[in-house]
Amino acid sequence: MQNNEPKIKSEAKQKNRPKNLNLTTIRLPINALVSILHRATGCILFLILPAILLLLQLSLSSAQHFEMVVSILHSPFTKLMLLGLAWAFFHHFFAGIRHLAMDVHWMTTLMKARYTSKVTLVLGALATFIVALKLWF
Amino acid sequence: MVIDLLTKRYPGMRAWLMQRLTAFAMAAYSIMLLVRIIILQPAVYEEWLSFFQPIWFRIASWLFWICLSVHAWLGVRDVFKDYVPDYDIRVVLLKLLATLLWAYIAWASWLFLVR
Repeated sequence: MQNNEPKIKSEAKQKNRPKNLNLTTIRLPINALVSILHRATGCILFLILPAILLLLQLSLSSAQHFEMVVSILHSPFTKLMLLGLAWAFFHHFFAGIRHLAMDVHWMTTLMKARYTSKVTLVLGALATFIVALKLWF
Repeated sequence: MVIDLLTKRYPGMRAWLMQRLTAFAMAAYSIMLLVRIIILQPAVYEEWLSFFQPIWFRIASWLFWICLSVHAWLGVRDVFKDYVPDYDIRVVLLKLLATLLWAYIAWASWLFLVR
């Protein structure tokens, strides 16, 4: 493979380049938002793996431990955390399905991708809302 | 040609495909788990135990955990590749990640298959 990229770029182009990357000056397009949230939620889900295993282990070991796990999961603070984790799961789930769809060349133009980004965010919020209803009502 | 892309000469293609296959399998398992919870609604210890009793469910859960481990390995590895530019630190982090994931697999295997 040959590198055909021009080595010297025009001076005008170089002058206008920002010297540092200030994240607060960048407006994130919706596709980028869904993408970075997919990565962030993936990291969160990875970090809670030991907690999942521990809760499974405890809940299956004996009736007393099962009751303990249930009472932990029913405390208001844990409920709030569960809601956050539920959102993380559902966002990762729907954004992942969006990726799979794009892999088979479905919804790949910019306008369609923007549309599916919105659908992803809405579905994640809806699923989280249903979980909230289950948790508090 | 497609098969050629999946040989050892193109490890990136293999990683890409594995990430997708594991994602698909985990999505299917997640839907199954959700439906199973909604149908059976385990509320007390005995119901929870019998929820985890069927051998098909144990094997499915174990396979899910294997997919999860592969998926997490590829995903977190990409995150390290993007945000940890120092090669030596990255190698240490990747070894730590692999150790963690293997330990989780051992734990999950005990929970789903042995216990």
